[in-house]
Amino acid sequence: MIFRKSLLLRLSLILSVLFLASTAAQAQTFDAVKKQVRTHTLANGMKFIVLERHDAPVAAFHVYADVGSANESYGITGISHILEHMAFKGTTTVGTKDFAAESKVLGELDAAYAEMRQEETKVAPDQAKLAQLKAGFTDLEKKAKEFVVNNEYFDMMMREGDAGVNAYTSNDATQYINYLPSNRLEFWMAMTSDRFLDPVFREFYKERDVIQEERRLGVETQPTGKLMEDFMAVAFKAHPYHHGVVGHMSDLQAITRKDVENYFKKFYGPSNLTVGIVGDVKADEVFQLAETYFSRVPSGPRPEPVRTKEPEQWGERRVAVSAKSQPFLLIGYHVPDARSKDSRAIEALANILGQGRSSRLFAALVKDKKIAAMIQATSGFPSDKFPNLFAVIAMPAAGKTSAECQAAIEDELEKIKKDSVTEDELTKFKRSSIKSALAQLTSNPNMAALLTYADVVLGDYGKAFDQIEEIKALKAEDIKRVANLYLVKNNRTIGEIVPEK
Amino acid sequence: MKKQITAKKIVIGLLILAVSAGAIYAQKAPKDKFAFGPLNPIRMPKVEKAELPNGLKLFLVEDPEFPTIYAYALVRTGAIFEPAAKIGLASLTGSVLRTGGTKTRTGDQIDKELETLAATVSTSIGQVSGTINVSVLKEDFDKALEILADLLTDPAFPQDKIDLAKIQQRTAISRRNDNVGGIASREFGKLIYGKDSPYARQAEYAGIDALTRQDIVDFYNAYFYPNNTIMAVCGDFKTKDMVAKLTAALGGWKKGKAAAEPWPKVAVEDKYTVNFVDKPDVNQSNIMLGHLGGLMNHPDQPALDIMNQILSFERMFKRIRTDEGLAYSVWGSYGANYVYPGMFSCGAQTKSQSTVYAIEIMLKEIQRIMAEEVSDEELAKAKDGYLNSYVFNFQTKAQILNRMLLYAYYGYPLDFTEKLKTGVEKVTKADVLRMAKKYLKPDKVQILVVGKKADFDKPLSTLGNVNVIDISIPAPKQK
Repeated sequence: MIFRKSLLLRLSLILSVLFLASTAAQAQTFDAVKKQVRTHTLANGMKFIVLERHDAPVAAFHVYADVGSANESYGITGISHILEHMAFKGTTTVGTKDFAAESKVLGELDAAYAEMRQEETKVAPDQAKLAQLKAGFTDLEKKAKEFVVNNEYFDMMMREGDAGVNAYTSNDATQYINYLPSNRLEFWMAMTSDRFLDPVFREFYKERDVIQEERRLGVETQPTGKLMEDFMAVAFKAHPYHHGVVGHMSDLQAITRKDVENYFKKFYGPSNLTVGIVGDVKADEVFQLAETYFSRVPSGPRPEPVRTKEPEQWGERRVAVSAKSQPFLLIGYHVPDARSKDSRAIEALANILGQGRSSRLFAALVKDKKIAAMIQATSGFPSDKFPNLFAVIAMPAAGKTSAECQAAIEDELEKIKKDSVTEDELTKFKRSSIKSALAQLTSNPNMAALLTYADVVLGDYGKAFDQIEEIKALKAEDIKRVANLYLVKNNRTIGEIVPEK
Repeated sequence: MKKQITAKKIVIGLLILAVSAGAIYAQKAPKDKFAFGPLNPIRMPKVEKAELPNGLKLFLVEDPEFPTIYAYALVRTGAIFEPAAKIGLASLTGSVLRTGGTKTRTGDQIDKELETLAATVSTSIGQVSGTINVSVLKEDFDKALEILADLLTDPAFPQDKIDLAKIQQRTAISRRNDNVGGIASREFGKLIYGKDSPYARQAEYAGIDALTRQDIVDFYNAYFYPNNTIMAVCGDFKTKDMVAKLTAALGGWKKGKAAAEPWPKVAVEDKYTVNFVDKPDVNQSNIMLGHLGGLMNHPDQPALDIMNQILSFERMFKRIRTDEGLAYSVWGSYGANYVYPGMFSCGAQTKSQSTVYAIEIMLKEIQRIMAEEVSDEELAKAKDGYLNSYVFNFQTKAQILNRMLLYAYYGYPLDFTEKLKTGVEKVTKADVLRMAKKYLKPDKVQILVVGKKADFDKPLSTLGNVNVIDISIPAPKQK
């Protein structure tokens, strides 16, 4: 029910998938876990990835739909996230008192909405007619509501002890999570297979209102939310990272139920869904149940990949948001996607420059010059399936400016471009990668998320473990090379919040 | 979705599929009866307790699954113990304790040393506790422990790191009105506990500027001693070895006074008020309303947990979010804390044009749960959800151990979770109604709206006399 607000630097999964086994014990740990992972792909293309962990009688379920706001086009921005909300509204048997009767009213309701919208968008709408159409629409909405069992999907999952029923949409993906006592495995299969075979997008227009409130909450009342949205729109002129996950308000007010149904048909075929299950389950049982419950979902063509690529940038871009707020600085450089060979070096660069108290930027801007109260660097911004940004975010200290911070950041980037990083810094990155990977292993939900992400975005769940070799091979000159290749003026966008009096 | 296959057809189709796929399962529909097999038993970790001669209490759990070690300690202190004229002192002490380093190694050296090992040693002081966190790869534990012991017994509190921490605090003050949600929760806390209450008061420039190094040293000396501290350690070690290591490293930490300072009392009277913070640059109102809540160890807590689940989800969420489409985030809950009363709070963020309407619905829902029993279905859902998800309290050894440490810190029974569960099993509809009548006071709520007045559906004055809260930040003294 949340969309990822990536402005605060996400502790990216990417960082956590980079392992370096400095000792035999760690190498064994990672190797042992990798060997325990098992997969099974149904004839219709739907893939299941299972990691048995028997520490506690619980299991994490993660459905990774390979569709996010980057798959959207003009007019339907925000529809991936709307669909995520609608996937909680039930099926032909869950969430309804009488589906046959309800279905008829839902059809009438959509027709009434279309008619109302037609009148509303005329150059000179007939106000009397419009009022009448609105009244008719509201009546039908009430009538449809009479058939609804309020939040029955939620109720049924929570009643069985679901401690993590939720979903989130990012630029790249829509992910549905459940965390159940492990003996509810088959119940999850029954609920989830119906959910993606037979969904009914009821209460659509009211939920659209909820999402508009979500947009107000996350973007329109937040100066940093506004900056994030405008920054992406400038940094990406062509690629759909251009628009935010939550979508534009005018689209949220106009997208129809039919739009969502079409989008579902296009992007929720079984070959576009990957399931990760981690916990106290038996892989063989999971695969048999998967055959039973999910084979009935008919296969279909894989959706066409996103066509538009971000072209080469022709010069530095700038964007400013004027707000009643203290200043805020965001600098982004275009870098390749997560599968690129350069990505490991870029992640190391982000870590060494701007993650932790001993990082270059923290030491220079916060501790030494005392011009920033917070500073961080990250890669994979806002997401990483497609070429993305290496970003530096700075919060100027009270009384200090974004310009002062920008100058100091540039100094630090130049130092790395000239002299590279130290061996100690490289070791720090490698060890912190191991440690966060180990921490990841202790969490069922995190592992379920990681395995599905690696399988879809990196092309193989095993990549989550294999990148160890790439990290082992990283040298100081690799960092220097990527810094010189990507951190150049023509390749960057600078965004800031300009305080309004 | 258009394809309307009947359930029967699906079942038949699947039986065929299931057989052809060689599966042994027949497909069930979501509402069929599922015979859930028994869950594998919860594995309670073996918690060893120990106490060093200087009074440092230890809880230890061996967890050899991964080659890491975590330590988590609580020190009996908190911002609530700051003198009223020295707000910000606790937080300053907690951060400079770590960033300032020791007499033999600077904070910056420690930063480098730890981060090169990918180790964490952090200290902080919050409202009602001081916290120490250590997280490290097993082979680096000795090094991290050496640094921790040095920090706890010989901190330097150098002036330059104090000045740096003050910059951070001033920056936080300067930015505290940038976020609407932040304004709402801060001002709501002040309304409920009183603006000068240790549980709600806020730092200002003048107070921060006046804090001295001596204040920090005094505050540290008043609270950071071993017999005022309890520590949990979990990871890949042998308990005997770990106790020996901790004894060697921390045994020399000097004992302090034994008596713990009592938690400040909360003495306020609930009253109905309507309060408003003007934020003309937003298009959505941030609404909070409520009054004082309770203590978690009260015998009514299990019944209140069930009432809260019903009020928050069955009533507020289903009505305000799902039925009306008025807000994304909605709640209503009689909150409880460990050692001082929590808050009964309801909240939502809704477009300016539905502000008063949303408040009226919230008040009606509070009245409704006080007027009639909840349904059998609502009670059953809330209890089943609680009891079926109970197992998630026991996912990892570290989770169980850390909870135990919290209970020990606040003087709760170590099996408090189990006690709550036993209580929940017995909750009835009559109990829920009794709780609502006993604890909820819709005629004595304080209502707070942060938003753009010009666009409200109705003036806030329809709810009562409006008290306008000035959130402007007192300017720092010119230097």
